Amino acid sequence: MAPSAVDDTVSRREVWKTLPDPVLYPVKEAKFEKYIEPQSDGYERAKAQSGGNPAIVIDNGSWAVRAGWSFENAPRLAVPPIMAKYRDRKLGKTFSFAGQDCYADTSARGHIRNAFEAGTGIVSNWDVMEHVLDYVFLKLGMNGVDGAIDMPVVMTEAVANLPYSRKSMTEIIFECYGAPSLTYGIDSLFAYRHNQGKTGIVVSSSHSATHLIPVYNQKPLLAQATRLNWGGWHAAEYLLKLIRLKYYYGFPGKLNSSQAENMVRDFCYVSQDYDSELAHYLEWTGLEDRERIVQYPYTEEVIIQKSEEELARIAERKKESGRRLQEQATKMRLERLMKKEQELEYYKDVQRRISEQTTKKEIKRILDDAEVKDEAALDRMVKELEKSIKRARTKDLGGEQEEEQEAPDFSLLDVPDDQLDEAGLKQKRQQRLMKSNHDARARAKAEKEAEKARIAEEARLDEERRTNDLEGWLEEKRQLRLAKLAQIKERDRLKADLGNRKSLANQIRMKNLANLASDTPAATGRKRRRGGDDDDFGADDADWGVYRSVAIGANKGDSDDEDEAEEDLEASVRALEQDLLEYDKEFTYEHTLEAQNDWTKSLLHAFRYGPRPFDAAAPAETHRLHLNVERIRVPEVIFQPSAIAGVDQAGIIEIAGDILNQRLVGIPGLDRDSFLKDIFLTGGNTMFQGFDERMRASLVPLLPAGTQLTVRKAKDPILDAWKGAAGWAGSEDWQRAKVTREEYQEKGAEYLKEHDLGNAFS
Amino acid sequence: MSNQTPEAQAAAAAHLKLIEQLDIHSIHKSFRNTHWRPNQRRNKNIKTILGDAQRKEANSILATPQDASGAATPAPVGDDGLSTSGTSTPAVPSTNGANANGTTVSLAQASRSLSKLVLEKSLNVPSKGSNGLAASLSSAPVATYTNIESAPSLAPMRRYCDITGLSAPYIDPKTRLRYHNAEVFAMIRSLPQGVGEQFLEARGAHTVLK
Repeated sequence: MAPSAVDDTVSRREVWKTLPDPVLYPVKEAKFEKYIEPQSDGYERAKAQSGGNPAIVIDNGSWAVRAGWSFENAPRLAVPPIMAKYRDRKLGKTFSFAGQDCYADTSARGHIRNAFEAGTGIVSNWDVMEHVLDYVFLKLGMNGVDGAIDMPVVMTEAVANLPYSRKSMTEIIFECYGAPSLTYGIDSLFAYRHNQGKTGIVVSSSHSATHLIPVYNQKPLLAQATRLNWGGWHAAEYLLKLIRLKYYYGFPGKLNSSQAENMVRDFCYVSQDYDSELAHYLEWTGLEDRERIVQYPYTEEVIIQKSEEELARIAERKKESGRRLQEQATKMRLERLMKKEQELEYYKDVQRRISEQTTKKEIKRILDDAEVKDEAALDRMVKELEKSIKRARTKDLGGEQEEEQEAPDFSLLDVPDDQLDEAGLKQKRQQRLMKSNHDARARAKAEKEAEKARIAEEARLDEERRTNDLEGWLEEKRQLRLAKLAQIKERDRLKADLGNRKSLANQIRMKNLANLASDTPAATGRKRRRGGDDDDFGADDADWGVYRSVAIGANKGDSDDEDEAEEDLEASVRALEQDLLEYDKEFTYEHTLEAQNDWTKSLLHAFRYGPRPFDAAAPAETHRLHLNVERIRVPEVIFQPSAIAGVDQAGIIEIAGDILNQRLVGIPGLDRDSFLKDIFLTGGNTMFQGFDERMRASLVPLLPAGTQLTVRKAKDPILDAWKGAAGWAGSEDWQRAKVTREEYQEKGAEYLKEHDLGNAFS
Repeated sequence: MSNQTPEAQAAAAAHLKLIEQLDIHSIHKSFRNTHWRPNQRRNKNIKTILGDAQRKEANSILATPQDASGAATPAPVGDDGLSTSGTSTPAVPSTNGANANGTTVSLAQASRSLSKLVLEKSLNVPSKGSNGLAASLSSAPVATYTNIESAPSLAPMRRYCDITGLSAPYIDPKTRLRYHNAEVFAMIRSLPQGVGEQFLEARGAHTVLK
């Protein structure tokens, strides 16, 4: 490895310490804000100016339903199209909420339903829709009118809305709310009108879908309109999926799509050159600036901080009690020692008296007095006492006690049995047992010594070889290390193999299992069964070996053995590396296994935890989301839907190119270039930083050299649709396009008047 | 609930009060028609709506007598306001002032089924407008929810790592995951069962069992 690279890693391992503290962003999600009072002043004003054609304008979007009065310049309300209805059993009362109010209560949050079919701009739940409209009319101060909304309604709908959906909405507006008239329009066309657009391509990327509609001289060419099924909702869901997969082994925080929505909005941006930016995204330099860290709430393990004095006091107390215990123990030991010494005195006295006596009878009497069986037992007792006193003394002195085992007396072993009486025979048996015990211990000791000597000899030989032939020695070590590494690899491979159902190891295992379970096992080499019910499984010890081959995972085989071997491999690699580090100039720390598995080398570490080390034990760090590649990956989907998110549709640039270069060119009477002068972006999903620049930069290569291209953003990509609709309501066009209650009653719910800002009948 | 602290009880009471304030179930809504009884089965998803529409269309084609269709298609240029092609909607200023307010519509015409009108319209393709643009626009197929969907991409597809999102020169033949380098590959091979499939799902390349 080049020295520069080595330096690089070393600095990397150190450089994070010089990084500033990470910037942590809190989690954001949709929540209840405050109670909105019904606002009747708007209705009052509307009634007062009957000549000016006031109307209720509702931008019925899948992200938010915005509603207000046509004579005002902003909507009064913006609520998500959701409702929650549940019955509180304890209170015996049914509650229902709409819009943000649903987030006010936990049980309400659990009952949230959306009016729109997930990920589309089509209303599919009309109960919810009605509920949201109820809420809207309530808050607009309409409660109090008698039986009907007495204001015209202007509404937005999806491009090429389904006839059934439109019919249902019309029915609700006329039958349920009794509005005098109703008009539908397309939100993005309203926004385009509001931004004084005449001819151009309206690119509208909203919550549920992305639409491109060419508009010529204020007339939409709806037949050329194209929809890409990707919007803010999809982006949030995709990000959520990516985060879950990034920390697939379990992220402790609770993730939801509302949080993901906020992350998309706050942290994502459109890359100007996706592939080249991507290639450098996870590089170490500057990674801390590219990543965004979201900190989820966590509870720190409480460590009670004690003051210095308190700690000192506790230590003092501990020491005090320890001392007391020690004192007690010494006292007890002393007492025991004294007692033993007294006993020793006594038995020695007994021995002395026995030696003075000559008659067997006298001896027996003394022995009986002392409650000892015979002279030998007395000897043993005295010896044991002496030993234990000695041991206690050395212990008190704190000296190392040398267990000098004097070889027990094996005198009887050489005496033939027939020369011994009953007691002698018994003693002989005991002596034999002790002898074998003693011998075994001695053998083990000798073996240990020999092993020690062998290792010392080996080390000496190794040393000798090193001093004599350093190069060869090094080479040998290197080879050995490589071999060990290969062994580790092989072991890991085997382990992984067992996880694979189709591997040889597993197939053999399955065969064994099947064999064990079957009533008539196939004879495996030996004839295990001769008769029908003659089950002699286990008669042969080798039979049990089959369970070893069947056990799996942690208990595979003898787990202790395996763990030991594992330890051994890593340890021996470490030892070899130690040697190499010491004597091989070429071998540096960077070459060691440890350094190579270091987090600074890991791409996945950078991906998941950024340029700082990760401590799995710190709850603050485990509750962090690191967003890096996702920041450009998520918004990029709209440009490459199939490559990134698997949406089998062309991207927005390809669609625009197709419309401009193929579909508009063939139409006589159209000047294609006039569309290029106004590529108009609207909708919340176009608000990513860099969206318009990317759009311009990517469209240029698709067009003839030198064509003039203008990409512009809506003044307010979110509210312009409502504003455009409000501005349109009351105009002459609106007068012509509105369907009155009478017309509805006469011509049915599917009746629609086509106009320049709405859908065509289909 | 007696074991709650006074603060908790106060908070619960305040919450209940807020909820009762927010609740719109108990409010009488005078603007609603009290006789409104919606169809119980009006909630349909897109798939059912499209299916129903297709079935209906098939039925109406069967029901329309083939020979009569030509006769029943009057297709006058500035007609009764019921025809729905782009050029003749009432909203578009037309030379014929009478049909702007739709008073000339006869009862018989109005009673014609709308689905039949649709059929007429699609049969009515030949150009009839005065200017070429309008004609060519109206001759284009009508935009429907299904046919405005963008077609699959024809551009060569780039490949990105399913794990990290970086460029992916390799594919793991076992899991079919695209990956960036050896380290990612090692991680793929150590994934627990089923997780690989989840990675594929994010790209829409997972196996769907039916």
